[in-house]
Amino acid sequence: MKTFAELGYPGRLVAVEGLDGSGKSTQIYLLKRWLELQGLKVYFSEWNSSELVKSATSKAKKRELLTPTTFSLIHATDFADRYERHLAPLLRAGYLVLCDRYIFTAFARDVVRGCPPEWVRGLYSFAGLPDLTFFFQADLGVSLQRILDGRPQLKYFEAGMDLRLASEPEESFRIFQGRILEQYLGMSTEFHFTVINANQLVEKQQCIVRDLVAQRLNLADFRRAERPASPRRAAQRANPRIVHREETVE
Amino acid sequence: MKHSLQDQILIPQPSKRRFYGHGIPKVDLEDLAGKLIVVEGADGSGRSTQIAMLVEWLEGCGHATVQVGLKRSTLVKEELEQAQQGNILSRTTLSLFYATDFADQLENTILPALKSGFVVLADRYIYTLMARDMVRGMDAAWLNNLYGLALEPDAVFYLNVPPEELVQRTFAKNAALDYWESGMDIGLSRDMFDSFMKYQKEVQLVFRGMQATYGFSIVDGLRSAEAINSELRKKISGVLAGKEGH
Repeated sequence: MKTFAELGYPGRLVAVEGLDGSGKSTQIYLLKRWLELQGLKVYFSEWNSSELVKSATSKAKKRELLTPTTFSLIHATDFADRYERHLAPLLRAGYLVLCDRYIFTAFARDVVRGCPPEWVRGLYSFAGLPDLTFFFQADLGVSLQRILDGRPQLKYFEAGMDLRLASEPEESFRIFQGRILEQYLGMSTEFHFTVINANQLVEKQQCIVRDLVAQRLNLADFRRAERPASPRRAAQRANPRIVHREETVE
Repeated sequence: MKHSLQDQILIPQPSKRRFYGHGIPKVDLEDLAGKLIVVEGADGSGRSTQIAMLVEWLEGCGHATVQVGLKRSTLVKEELEQAQQGNILSRTTLSLFYATDFADQLENTILPALKSGFVVLADRYIYTLMARDMVRGMDAAWLNNLYGLALEPDAVFYLNVPPEELVQRTFAKNAALDYWESGMDIGLSRDMFDSFMKYQKEVQLVFRGMQATYGFSIVDGLRSAEAINSELRKKISGVLAGKEGH
């Protein structure tokens, strides 16, 4: 598997990974805002969010119909849909694509659920590797507490209840997340994760993230191309005090 | 002379079982006492007629049967149907969606039925799914890994009917060609008839290529339904008696 840079795509993909409650979604959101405010071509995609597959996934989860194999396949289907329709074409068009969870989420979760690691990796072998992967590592206890504080009702699959690790959802969740963390740590070197200490303040982490992104990617490559001047723009340039409403909204 | 009823019902002999690849976690292959019989072939090749006749015969012989087929899973049947109608999914996505449908039936119907000693009749199996994808240029190694989850059947019959005859049978039934069975998504031809002929020929080529790997029995589908069925019965009797199916 190759990164998008190695594949010769003009776009670049940045992924965040980590346990639920590690703060990765906050960090990638702040990264996205920073990039957007610089006027860069940015696209953001979340795990398990393809419209098409959503109805099947949510039905299956509600009715607890999934086995480890079908859980894995339905998430791979969701990923493939987003990959083929959004990620790959946008990367071809020179976008900066930000992913809240990428294939490593499947590698970790599905293997904890008992799927053979080589099989799971094979499923996702059509995908390019991120050009930069941040792994947010918080103390397991901190992550768990964040989730448990915010959402007292743990969902069945989220808590890994299908694995019969414990009869209590909370206990099951703790064991499940602990095992996922082991999987992540095992992949860290192989896939060149950039590990961020997620026990730090939000701002401190974001500072590190932005620095690294600026160092590793040539952000100037992702500027939106200047459009040839339209008559309206030309008029605006001639008289800067005429400001069109839609253009004030950046 | 009076026969004891016990002598009249053949007790199936155990099969040597294996998954094609990684298989399904935590399945004990020794437990699967039933038989898995697959009938493959294009639409119009007579699959459902043959399966209906086999069910009659098998049940008459005292064997319990279960039928499975493509797009019949509780999990994604409706969504798959919907997606196909809109022609909105790209190829890897559609491929994985079908694999999900297959895996759901494998785990929730096929394996439990085999465990209970049923004869499972599959109206198509992974081979159609793989052939369709291969014609669409998907990577064979990727497909082999994906469908490594499948159990090797006891027998696979491929009903071979040339495209010229398939098209006649389709028109006799529907007066219209199916978009997907004509491979219209690939762009072989804008003319649906031409596309159908080309697509079906390509699929047949892929099937012939898979024969050596998967040990299909290629059955001449141009004969009468009865003649075909008696050939299938003979082979299935062999399977039940514990002779190698292929």
